[in-house]
Amino acid sequence: MDENINNQSMRKSFGKSLLYTLPMFLLTFVLMTGGRPDFSDRHGTIALLITFVGLNILYFLMHYTGKTDKLRAVLFIVFALTLSFTLIKNMVDIRQTMTYSQGDILECNMPFCHLVIPMLILPAAFTQSIIYPGSILGGFASISAMVVLWLGASVILGRGFCSWGCFYGGWDDGFSRFRKRPVIRKIGDSWKWMPFAVLLMVALTSALALTPTYCDWICPFKAVTEFEEVTGIESAAKAGIFISLFGGLVVVLPILTRKRIQCSFLCPLGAINTLSNKVSPFTVKIDRQLCNDCLKCVQVCPVFALTKDDVKKGNVSIFCTKCGKCIDACPKQAIHYGIAGVPASRMVKFSRNIFLFVSFLFMAIFASGSIITVVKSFVNLFI
Amino acid sequence: MPESFILGLSSGSSCLLTCGMVIFPYLMARSAGTRRIITDLSLFLLTRFLVYFLLATLSFYFGKAIFTSPVFRNYISGILYIIFSGMLIWYAIRRSRKPGCPARIVETVNNRKLVPVLLGIVNSLGFCPALLLILTKSSAEGTIVQSYLAFLGFFAGTALYFIPLPLAGKIRKKKVFETIGVMATGLAGIIFMIKGITSLTGGFIYG
Repeated sequence: MDENINNQSMRKSFGKSLLYTLPMFLLTFVLMTGGRPDFSDRHGTIALLITFVGLNILYFLMHYTGKTDKLRAVLFIVFALTLSFTLIKNMVDIRQTMTYSQGDILECNMPFCHLVIPMLILPAAFTQSIIYPGSILGGFASISAMVVLWLGASVILGRGFCSWGCFYGGWDDGFSRFRKRPVIRKIGDSWKWMPFAVLLMVALTSALALTPTYCDWICPFKAVTEFEEVTGIESAAKAGIFISLFGGLVVVLPILTRKRIQCSFLCPLGAINTLSNKVSPFTVKIDRQLCNDCLKCVQVCPVFALTKDDVKKGNVSIFCTKCGKCIDACPKQAIHYGIAGVPASRMVKFSRNIFLFVSFLFMAIFASGSIITVVKSFVNLFI
Repeated sequence: MPESFILGLSSGSSCLLTCGMVIFPYLMARSAGTRRIITDLSLFLLTRFLVYFLLATLSFYFGKAIFTSPVFRNYISGILYIIFSGMLIWYAIRRSRKPGCPARIVETVNNRKLVPVLLGIVNSLGFCPALLLILTKSSAEGTIVQSYLAFLGFFAGTALYFIPLPLAGKIRKKKVFETIGVMATGLAGIIFMIKGITSLTGGFIYG
């Protein structure tokens, strides 16, 4: 299995790509239909087929073209958009509004998202209670389901979760692709430690106040999910903060910098996921023998995971989200997916095939539910 | 108590940035090993604890006479929060962090056994908006026990930074921890700024 990637492309022939897509084809079909295909709902079946075919075409193209990032981004952005649509639709169906009231909090009617996880750990350890007003097992997005999904994905993918599993990441990933060239180029490297400061503050304040302070005060994604009803000065201040953060960190700065600013500088879960890169079996490696120090990888990395020094040393930092942008951009094919413990330039194709299979399958299954819902809504509109 | 702890925690980080350079050498320089540092540090923390205990008692009884109206207290609290947040944000953004700590006064003291006690007194009495805030808060408490608890939370928050002191030399990647600490201080400043403005505008509207 040892191989050197010198002068080798990740591209595969049409037949070989089809062969590699076959296991994904079968698994996504089984998982999306729950193993018991039911075609009695015509519109539902059409939505399922469109989603199923679309997902498998993307995976096929990853093998056929040898490119990762742009194809991943298509699904990642669609995932973020459709999930927000589905969530808002659900909220409007249940509450007739995107806002939640104190009554919804008291009745534990809040859907759970993975960004709350860092705030649960300390209170759960000290008070044996979950401080989020959501359902532990049932409901639209239960706490246990989200925690298990995140934990499993983080152990396997490391911070790859941020590019292959997070249903918010697609928002700033999408906006970071709006312009061809960045307007703001110089950003201090030390800012990438900011999520750890946010994590420190929200973990402590949540533990002390026994409320999820990040969701309560900071989370910018309330702009595309649900938010507190404005009833006074405090709730108005909260609304002002999340709208400003969404506008600044998710829309404007990613457009101006071509970087995922919210993910890089604010997300407290990103800080924990950064640490999970230490246990993940999948890594991104630089082959120093092939590298010509053009630093294109540093320029394109959306999460500040690569510096000039990292490239010189042949290291990719723990901030890497394994999006594949640097791999696709490298003119010498010196960067590749790898497996922890295996030296750079060894088992290159094998590592990529395994990583793509695991990460794409996770994202496809995680995203398919909301994509099917949105496609079905469109089918209902037009047919 | 949670709010007092957060106040202490935020004030502790800025306190460490300014006073750390003065306090640490005095507690560590002439000490013989970890045991000596732990003794001096315990003495330093005990002195601070006693000073806060005294302040809690005084603020509870005298505060009732000064802050006769809760609206007035709301204004004072809001203004102090804004000053304090400004101070924290300033600590976080300024380029050079030269120590300007009142604890420099101990440089004139020769008796080394007195140094931790003096440092404890000066450090806990140092003019700081966070201390004024906790004094305002303590004076508003219903019972003296609640007043003590408010100061206890503040003490715990500030003391947290001094506990790893004996291990300071063994910490790797100090620069990273310092960066995260500075950023957390700035964030705390923003949080208190919002709290101050909310408190002040709330006072104006509902007062």
